[in-house]
Amino acid sequence: MDGTTLISVAQVFLGIILLLVSLNLYLILRLKEIDPFGSWNPNKINAGLFMVFLVGGLIAAYASTQAWSEHLIFFQPAVSEHGLEIDRMMRNTMGIALFVTVLTNILLFYYAWRYQAKPGRKALYYPHNNRLEVVWTVVPAVVLTLLVFDGVGVWHNIMDEAPEDSIQIEVNGKQFDWTVRYPGADMEYGETHVSFIDEISTNTLGFNFEDKRGHDDLVVREIHVPVNKDVNMTIRSRDVLHSATLAHFRVKMDAVPGMPTSFHFKPLVTTAEMRQRTGNPDFNYEMSCQQICGGGHWNMRLVVVVESEAEYNAWIAQQQPFYAQWQEMNGANNTAEAQPEGASSDAVAIASIATAQ
Amino acid sequence: MSDATSHATTGAGTLSAVGHHDDHHGHHHGNFWTTYVFSTDHKVIAKQFLITGIIMAIIGIGMSTLFRLQLAFPDTSFAILEALLGKWAPDGKLDPNFYLSLVTMHGTFMVFFVLTAGLSGTFSNFLIPLQIGARDMASGFMNMLSYWFFFASSVIMVSSLFVETGPAGGGWTIYPPLSALPQAMPGSGMGMTLWLVAMTLFIASSLLGSINYITTVMNLRTQGMTFDRLPLTIWAFFLTAVIGVLSFPVLFSAALLLMFDRLLGTSFYLSDIFIGGELLHYQGGSPILFQHLFWFLGHPEVYIVLLPALGISSEVISVHARKPIFGYKAMIGSMVGIAFLSFIVWAHHMFVTGMNPFLGTVFMLFTLVIAVPSAIKAFNYITTLWKGNIRFTPPMLFAIGLVSLFITGGITGIFLGNAALDIPLHDTYFVTAHFHLVMGSASAFGLFAGVYHWFPKMFGRMMNKRLGYIHFWLTFTSLYLVFFPMHFMGLGGVARHYWSQSAFTFMEVFMPLQGFITIAAIIGFFGQFIFLYNFFSSIFIGKKASLNPWQANTLEWTTPRVPGHGNWPGDIPHVYRWPYDYSKPGVKEDYLPQHIPDAEIEYEEGFPKPATMPTPATPAQKPEVKEEAED
Ligand code: HEM
Ligand SMILES: [Cu+2]
Ligand SMILES: [Cu+2]
Repeated sequence: MDGTTLISVAQVFLGIILLLVSLNLYLILRLKEIDPFGSWNPNKINAGLFMVFLVGGLIAAYASTQAWSEHLIFFQPAVSEHGLEIDRMMRNTMGIALFVTVLTNILLFYYAWRYQAKPGRKALYYPHNNRLEVVWTVVPAVVLTLLVFDGVGVWHNIMDEAPEDSIQIEVNGKQFDWTVRYPGADMEYGETHVSFIDEISTNTLGFNFEDKRGHDDLVVREIHVPVNKDVNMTIRSRDVLHSATLAHFRVKMDAVPGMPTSFHFKPLVTTAEMRQRTGNPDFNYEMSCQQICGGGHWNMRLVVVVESEAEYNAWIAQQQPFYAQWQEMNGANNTAEAQPEGASSDAVAIASIATAQ
Repeated sequence: MSDATSHATTGAGTLSAVGHHDDHHGHHHGNFWTTYVFSTDHKVIAKQFLITGIIMAIIGIGMSTLFRLQLAFPDTSFAILEALLGKWAPDGKLDPNFYLSLVTMHGTFMVFFVLTAGLSGTFSNFLIPLQIGARDMASGFMNMLSYWFFFASSVIMVSSLFVETGPAGGGWTIYPPLSALPQAMPGSGMGMTLWLVAMTLFIASSLLGSINYITTVMNLRTQGMTFDRLPLTIWAFFLTAVIGVLSFPVLFSAALLLMFDRLLGTSFYLSDIFIGGELLHYQGGSPILFQHLFWFLGHPEVYIVLLPALGISSEVISVHARKPIFGYKAMIGSMVGIAFLSFIVWAHHMFVTGMNPFLGTVFMLFTLVIAVPSAIKAFNYITTLWKGNIRFTPPMLFAIGLVSLFITGGITGIFLGNAALDIPLHDTYFVTAHFHLVMGSASAFGLFAGVYHWFPKMFGRMMNKRLGYIHFWLTFTSLYLVFFPMHFMGLGGVARHYWSQSAFTFMEVFMPLQGFITIAAIIGFFGQFIFLYNFFSSIFIGKKASLNPWQANTLEWTTPRVPGHGNWPGDIPHVYRWPYDYSKPGVKEDYLPQHIPDAEIEYEEGFPKPATMPTPATPAQKPEVKEEAED
């Protein structure tokens, strides 16, 4: 459906509305005596429409769920360990929610239809019933308590400290992209701070190069993680809020300037397996930003690759530490200082990283 | 038996009634300005709020149709966008920054200007004095100020649409640092400053109004109108005002500190920032602090929006089902519970913002507790319909629709309130679906139900029923068609606030759904013109209303067709019972107004005399109950 169809639909619709309004105007002003709808009983019609709405709505809801379910990531099994727990909660909650919503909507519309006003009938004077009210206070309370108990456990597992031997990665958000850092062979990140950022020399993460721990840190534009290993992701931002979201993994955590956050998870399915599962050879896990951060918010994409441990190790081994790249760049490229402030320094950085890969 | 007790309980009401007594002809000496513009009459002020709210709603909903075009058809060039927005829609496509500004302003307009001021401002003002039996608000002058602060706030907010850098763009929650730094996006420039100024005036307006509502309900009730005889509308407005008074000041502090950060260079919310090629000096602030302050208002705010709608629907459902509202006391209890709990759940909006996860646990517990009173209310509405004698008038249709939307939208709250389950769902369309159904649509239905129901009292004429039916069915269907599919997008991981879904393959598959939603939204948008036409034309050519067109029990229907200044030309009626005696066994009519003394009740033939009449639900007159409620 494109814009022109839309506009013609809108025009047709406007036409109908105009027609209805003018018809009504006509009826009000001229035709009071011979009103063709005069014999319609609005109670019957509206009550009937409620039943139509109910039945039609339930069918439509069911059919559309069927039609879309294959695209509903949160209905497909998660590809992380804690994600499977979340999926279980989702199934339980969904079951209860559907039951309650469908049941109460049926009762609501059915009663509306069933008890439409009829001449000579009087409503039942039924102002309260304590037992009934206790029942529908206690039952929801019990159900919700069960859901919460389950939820508290899962939440604590997710938010617990990451296991000691986790793979460490750090994602750095800025308007409007992500940069990934690995701690390198020493398993420790070098110090970074916004005050060291120097875009002209490509030091966009703000390395303090006096901290030797940072000399072997890797800086890349893709997340690579081995399957079945815990990953501890540190999340940082240097400007505004962002949110590191890995929908397939049920991972989401805000990036907060001045306050590193973290999220740990264990991927269970490699990209290659997922390509087979989905039958899509181009499938990739994607990380998005889900906290409004400005004009490019919609476009902060980062590819996430889950691979076997061997592949992962091979990939790591290919990467050149950022410090070495930086030295090379700023040795060979002393004219950088002469560049106008900020101009395409990012592009240079990306180019250098790309060649390194 | 009742007279002695009721005299004892409402001394204040009597006094004020006497006090106003000699000037109830006031409207004769007012000139045009004092009668229609700077009026202190609560009924005029209510209409001013309503009309201003309607104008803000047209702009607010209009903005949403513009960005819906962009969401559904990102590659199509719309001449209308370019014509309307000029430089913000080059080649007929919305600029990404302006898209965010439109979303932000849409949210701000709808939440604050339409569903807070438009709804509470209209109906609290209109109904509180009329339904409790008072000649006006406790302070007519403060009431007038409340409107004019709101008016000034609206003017500033609308004018921010026209500034060079565009209106505020950081979302209606205006999280810093984005909203604090003009470098971060155009919408954080002048537009954001105006947003903060406008909201400050808005808060002042809301506080002036709320204090007045609270004072009026506490002190100006007529004789016999104890707290356990108040219509549920009044209970809802009263509790809404209490919530507002306690929470809006916190938003004011939040906004003030943000203003300091923006204008004076303080660091309340900012730390360690490098943006636009430049290192900023801010040190030691926390963006999370702002979120706590914002949601300390923000969550109560959603109930400020919803409670009046629930109050209105309680009244409307009872009147048009010709049946007492089921569980009057439970309804009050659950509203009190909701009002209290709404202050201790705010951080459920912040589970994944980096807040301490232990806090998350606490807020998750409280959040799911608040679902219980909500469930009670839903069940009580349904039971009220059971074995009723339902008259399908336009207000009744909207009230029934409200219950359905409230259930369908509210139930998703139990997903979002469970912190672990909120991880994938947070900031997706699932949240958008949740709050548009439960807050946006349900409250809008409360507004519609209220307008259709009380229009005869506001303007002395009836709205056209048939146009009301058409309006209802169009609106109800289109709302479900718009917001139900958003659950699918949310469950597919599609993020909110995305100018385009084309960057992510798992989001792009939902484009056809976006198209569908946009068409439904445009249909719904045009459907509202039926209402506008009906509303404005009925003011002039509507059928003249009778004194009590819906045969309702509450006091507003004892006033003249168009009540003048002071509401009742003679004495204020006294109240002898609760407002929900519909279809009471033995009573001749199927309603029994609050102001009819027991001795004057007309009984069905052959029904035993009052002394032996069963009165199961009429709350006995116990002065101590009133005291309890006031505490
Ligand atoms: C049944 C009880 C309810 C529960 C448990 C609940 C829970 C939640 C939770 C946890 C969120 C945050 C979701 C997220 O951002 O990830 C949320 C969002 C929201 N809820 Fe509810 N809710 C309930 C009822 C309501 C009601 C009655 C209203 C309004 C009248 C409401 C209005 C909102 C709004 C406006 C938001 C979104 C704010 C935003 O992010 O822009 N909710 N709800
Ligand atoms: Cu973002
Ligand atoms: Cu909330």
